[in-house]
Amino acid sequence: MADRADREYTCPWCGTRTDGSPLSCPGCGVKTDVRAVVTNSGWTQLPGRRDMAKLQFGNSYCQIEGTYVPVADMSLAAGDGVYFAHHVLLWKDPPVQVTTMPLKGAWKRLLAGMPLIMTQAHGPGHIAFSRDAPGEMIALPLSRGQSVDVREHLFLVGTHQVAYDWIDTGIWFQTKSGDETETHYPLGMFLDRFTAPQDHGLLLLHAAGNVFVRELAPGQTILVKPTSFLFKDPSVQMHLHFERPQVSWRSWGAWGERYLWLTLRGPGRVAVQSVFERLEGEHLNIQSHSHATHRQW
Amino acid sequence: MTEPRLDPLQRIRCEWCQGQNEPTAVSCRSCGAPLDVKNLVSDSGWREAPRIKDMTEIHFGGSTCQVEGEIVPVAEINLAPGDSVYFEHHVMLWKDEAVPMTLLPLTGGVKRAFAGMPFLISVAHGPGRIAFSRDATGELVVLPLHPGMELDVREHAMLVASHQIAYSFIRIKGLRNILFGGQGMFMDRFVTGGEPGVLLLHGYGNVFERTLKAGESILLEPGAFLYKDSSVTMEVETQKLSTGFFGGTSMNLAKMTGPGRVGIQSMYVHHAAE
Repeated sequence: MADRADREYTCPWCGTRTDGSPLSCPGCGVKTDVRAVVTNSGWTQLPGRRDMAKLQFGNSYCQIEGTYVPVADMSLAAGDGVYFAHHVLLWKDPPVQVTTMPLKGAWKRLLAGMPLIMTQAHGPGHIAFSRDAPGEMIALPLSRGQSVDVREHLFLVGTHQVAYDWIDTGIWFQTKSGDETETHYPLGMFLDRFTAPQDHGLLLLHAAGNVFVRELAPGQTILVKPTSFLFKDPSVQMHLHFERPQVSWRSWGAWGERYLWLTLRGPGRVAVQSVFERLEGEHLNIQSHSHATHRQW
Repeated sequence: MTEPRLDPLQRIRCEWCQGQNEPTAVSCRSCGAPLDVKNLVSDSGWREAPRIKDMTEIHFGGSTCQVEGEIVPVAEINLAPGDSVYFEHHVMLWKDEAVPMTLLPLTGGVKRAFAGMPFLISVAHGPGRIAFSRDATGELVVLPLHPGMELDVREHAMLVASHQIAYSFIRIKGLRNILFGGQGMFMDRFVTGGEPGVLLLHGYGNVFERTLKAGESILLEPGAFLYKDSSVTMEVETQKLSTGFFGGTSMNLAKMTGPGRVGIQSMYVHHAAE
């Protein structure tokens, strides 16, 4: 019989290496020995997680409870901390200290409707987080030096090893209706960028519906609905793409028979969620937009 | 080598869509329902739509459709050359860059709008991949339509339909039906010609179906209505509720009269809130 120490197991979802003895991956909570569920077209579905799966970070751990609207239940060790937007806090032990975290460029975030105050909690003690919609909890373990760009409002909680910053999405279009000009940001004005500069960290996101991830080869593209976009590696480029269907007659005018897509270009990882909001302003008269490609069928 | 001929008696009949399947199949080829589950029927006669197992494949024409995810399922279609599907354009989740798109010419010239946008039906043509999903928790209902079938569907409940099925819409008759029916002014009507096709609906919450005998009626919350055979008639029935003050209030229910199938969703949109 092979010795446990000789065995090596790589989690198909997050790539964490273990000796295969834990029942679920300590990095992301996915069941050990689960087969990566890949669709015929190459999207990997976020694998099922055992209820009550435990994730390890620093000296603390996080237990993910429930499968419909999952709760992240953190057991913080002394010296470990997490940060979060205050509205996701579900409950906490009285001794757990919650303080605000200074954010740079706060006025810009207020403008973009993003949470202005980021709160942080320090161990020791228990604290739990959840969101307001049925969906999946995505655990993204960040190895040292790794970054990920996340659509705004998906962030649930990050450990103190993860640095938080934001970048412009660079995706916008301007519509004109009468005298009114409006700028729309299909992905929001900013993308959250999370980096683990020195040490391994854990990032938890909450997505509505089901989650699918795929790896794009260099130069490979995929068109996704802008509002379904979840996260990407910083190496993935994105821009708007207008597509016009072939029509035999045109009488509707206003909409201009046009589909608005987000092109994602590899190399790197991209993720989408199966629930999306309606794209605002899509049907209006688009006057100008950020860099985009066009296709007429 | 020729494929071994199957004994027709050995085929498994799908409890949900009555489709015939090979004895080795675990899920129905044409509707994706697991073949090992029995029909789940409540004491009052409602049949629960089968939860389609994750990653189940459904076949239509030369194309396949894979149903992915169980919270808000995605229908991912691999279109064969010559096959096409149609849908309302806001349900597209992602597609290959090379899948051509056209619009379905709608007859009648009646102006319909959805969320302020003109109502248009888009068509995606094979070969290539395209995927669809909706905006809330629910179930995908796969309805294989056999030749000669006519099905009426709640407006905007269609996710995607294969090209073998003809699409039209009917105006809901009667002002009371429009005002109090809770379903807007139109119902989508799907009719099959000579070839079988597949229709995918998205129902919010869970989906149940019941077959009404000729003349049998059931009263539904109008927002719960999902689909019906065109042989089922629908009218609004107002129920007076006496509160003892100012003559009370009233509620409106949709009265469905058989013969035929009626499908409902459990997470309905209440028309007063719409």
